[in-house]
Amino acid sequence: MTNTLTSPIIAQLPGVFEQHLSDRKQAEPASLLTQRDEAFKTFMLKGFPAYRTEEWKYTNVAPFLQEAFSFDTTTTVANTTVEELLKAAIPAGLDAYTLVCVNGKFQKELSQVPAEADVQITTVSAAIEAGAYAPHFNTEYDYKHTFEDLNTALFEEGMMIVVKKGASVDKPMHIIHLYHHSSPLFAQTRQLWVVEEGAQAQIIETLVDPASNNAVLFNNNVTEIVTEATANLQHYQLQTALHHVRIVHQTRVHQHEDSVYSHFAFIMSSAAFTRNNIDIVHVGEHIETNLYGFYLASEQQLIDNHTAVHHAKPNCNSNELYKGVLLDKAVGVFNGKIFVHQDAQKTNAFQQNNNMILSEGAMVYTKPQLEIYADDVKCSHGTTIGQVSEEALFYLKSRGIGEAAARNMLVHAFAYDVTAQITVPAIRKYIEQIADEYLDTFANN
Amino acid sequence: MATENEIIQQLADKAYEFGFETTIDMEVAPPGLDEDIIRFISAKKEEPEWLLEWRLKAYRAFTKMKMPDWQHFKMPEIDFQQLSYYAAPKNQAKYNSLDEVDPELLRTFEKLGIPLDEQKALSGVAVDAVFDSVSVATTFRKELAEKGVIFCSFGEAVKEHPELVKQYLGSVVPHSDNIFAALNAAVFSDGSFVYIPKGVRCPMELSTYFRINARNTGQFERTLIVADEGAYVSYLEGCTAPMRDENQLHAAVVEIVALENAEVKYSTVQNWYPGDKEGKGGIYNFVTKRGICKGAKAKISWTQVETGSAITWKYPSVILAGDNSVGEFYSVAVTSNLQQADTGTKMFHIGKNTRSHIISKGISAGRSQNVYRGLVTVGPKATHARNFTQCDSLLIGDRCGAHTFPYIESKNPTAMIEHEATTSKIGEDQVFYLNARGIDTEQAVALIVNGYAKEVLNQLPMEFAVEAQKLLSITLEGSVG
Repeated sequence: MTNTLTSPIIAQLPGVFEQHLSDRKQAEPASLLTQRDEAFKTFMLKGFPAYRTEEWKYTNVAPFLQEAFSFDTTTTVANTTVEELLKAAIPAGLDAYTLVCVNGKFQKELSQVPAEADVQITTVSAAIEAGAYAPHFNTEYDYKHTFEDLNTALFEEGMMIVVKKGASVDKPMHIIHLYHHSSPLFAQTRQLWVVEEGAQAQIIETLVDPASNNAVLFNNNVTEIVTEATANLQHYQLQTALHHVRIVHQTRVHQHEDSVYSHFAFIMSSAAFTRNNIDIVHVGEHIETNLYGFYLASEQQLIDNHTAVHHAKPNCNSNELYKGVLLDKAVGVFNGKIFVHQDAQKTNAFQQNNNMILSEGAMVYTKPQLEIYADDVKCSHGTTIGQVSEEALFYLKSRGIGEAAARNMLVHAFAYDVTAQITVPAIRKYIEQIADEYLDTFANN
Repeated sequence: MATENEIIQQLADKAYEFGFETTIDMEVAPPGLDEDIIRFISAKKEEPEWLLEWRLKAYRAFTKMKMPDWQHFKMPEIDFQQLSYYAAPKNQAKYNSLDEVDPELLRTFEKLGIPLDEQKALSGVAVDAVFDSVSVATTFRKELAEKGVIFCSFGEAVKEHPELVKQYLGSVVPHSDNIFAALNAAVFSDGSFVYIPKGVRCPMELSTYFRINARNTGQFERTLIVADEGAYVSYLEGCTAPMRDENQLHAAVVEIVALENAEVKYSTVQNWYPGDKEGKGGIYNFVTKRGICKGAKAKISWTQVETGSAITWKYPSVILAGDNSVGEFYSVAVTSNLQQADTGTKMFHIGKNTRSHIISKGISAGRSQNVYRGLVTVGPKATHARNFTQCDSLLIGDRCGAHTFPYIESKNPTAMIEHEATTSKIGEDQVFYLNARGIDTEQAVALIVNGYAKEVLNQLPMEFAVEAQKLLSITLEGSVG
């Protein structure tokens, strides 16, 4: 059944890891080094996920791991270049704090940070040394992918954001992950965010890897998030990277009682391969989780979204809506899991995935999945695969709207359920504009 | 009025109603599986060389296969060498009329509520009764023969219609399809064969009653139904098995071929021994059922009411190869105590304008686990394919589980696929409403569940619908959570 994945990276890794570990012997706390060592052993035992295994049934990562990757993230990019790149990455009209990471490392001098009383930004290793946040790092999880272990073993320096107790950050924080490299780079990005009791924040993430790099980037990102009691976090992922980028993005959220976590994933990139894993674990009662996603794939892109919500406690709600539009020969994969544990009575869990296939050759594989072990629950899921309604198109055309414009309008209407949930107007405009550009290019071909 | 807990207790304590064992002399092969036993079975059944070769090919494929690990239940360790692969009643005389059949055997069927002679007179159902693998009585042969319909045991079909069997055997479920199908192909003992000639509408519903009777005997039925162009047949399968302690493996294979404009309706009511309330004993029901709509405008419809078995693991499927062909799947799966079910369907859309419709109703009570697992796949050439799937789960009690794993794949921009699923507990307000009108909780639940499952029960032929409703009530009556 299991077909082992072969990649030149595997042979390269032990050497890379040994060097990596010895570089850090002095600087990092022993507990972190032990975790790195264990994670690496686990990874080497299991390897990259094999195609056709249940979690990677439709997604073969092998073709994206064939380059001779470098793990060296040192770069000598000029600050002026960086500033120019950043300017291009910020959605027009977005009023936000900017947190800049270059090749995975936080750059304070390039960033505009919120007041320290509200938000504290440090490195993960410093946080572990301080002790307070060590329990939140690299937490146990039954469904961990080996990509996460690889990240734990090899990440250079992670960014830790703590939104302080009761703080309400006045503007969204926009994290820009900038990559600069001239040869194929396999980069690990590591983040740990803690939103303390009663705090509120909006965090936006963008990945920038300019075309001038012209070399493949494989970005293995792990973000661990904790929302403490009554905290509220809105998390926007704007994935707009270019064709030479490959992304595996793990987001794991531990939600405590009465907290609200809303995730917005917009995958409008031309990145050849995107795999997002979002895992939500409910630690307390009366939690609300919202997961919204919109993906627009074209050419030969592969976009794979896996989400899992673990309802472990009673009286929690989760809401999930993912919509996708597939053009050209693109492939869309969706897998949404809802687990309702035995004690999680009075759970409400809703999940929906809708897809539009607009070209011959595009494919959709969707699998909404419910596993329910409690009886006093209301759970439902729905999924559809279809296309632009001919009748709606006819209606618009009969009113003098051209075919292309009408199609564009209907796709926007399809996405509306998701885009309408965006609370930052500048982001909504940005997303809609990108969608327009895509559809125009598609219509003109 | 009994309290909730009392009712649940009563229900849990309820012994298996059809748990009795018939004592008839059996001829049983020694336990073990190797090429010799396959040759033995083949020789016993006086089979031609090609069939033996096919069995051996399947056996060789079987030895190379591994047990799958994706199922949502703990796979019991099955030692294939501990099973006996052949059991047949000793007095194998050919009967001309029912009077000649062993009276003990007839009594068994009577207890199950299907007296052959009564059915002959009343329901117009031809029954090919399979008693541990060997067909012992077949009724209505004459009437069917007039129409050219062939309805006989598999063994007879091999002897009398070898060309048909050879043409279609393994054409839908290949000998190496999956581990249990391969095992079945290697050691299948008997089963039923149906052929409906061109343009014939089968005048009656065909039915086979299975019973598993001998201890330690895996039952390996093989059913092959071929509906030629423009033919129609409705086929019923119903099962009950006597109570016993050891788990029994049942790995049957059903193949259906529907040619142009043909329609096959296959209905199952399954009530095999589910094990006692501690989960001891019970049948493993690992069945491969698949039909192919070979020609244009063909239609295959599966209806199943699954109430028995310790583990039910099957996915009746339809390959929609012909243009404008239709596949349907209606299912009610009930699990209680420690029963487990991992069942659903697969619809393969290959031809143009193919349509499929899936309705699945799962009901879980006690500490049981009930899984719907389905696959809908639309190929690149299946333009304007259409699918609608609805799977609902009803939970009774807080220690059971209901799970949904739908796999939906589309490679076509003109396909329309819809899937929806809901899970909820039995409505307290509905029960209260009925209570308030003098209907006790036990009856109220039976009423609600029957209403819930009605969409599926309506698909069953009259004779079966009655039995199915009875079964639902027996399994679930009163178990309100």
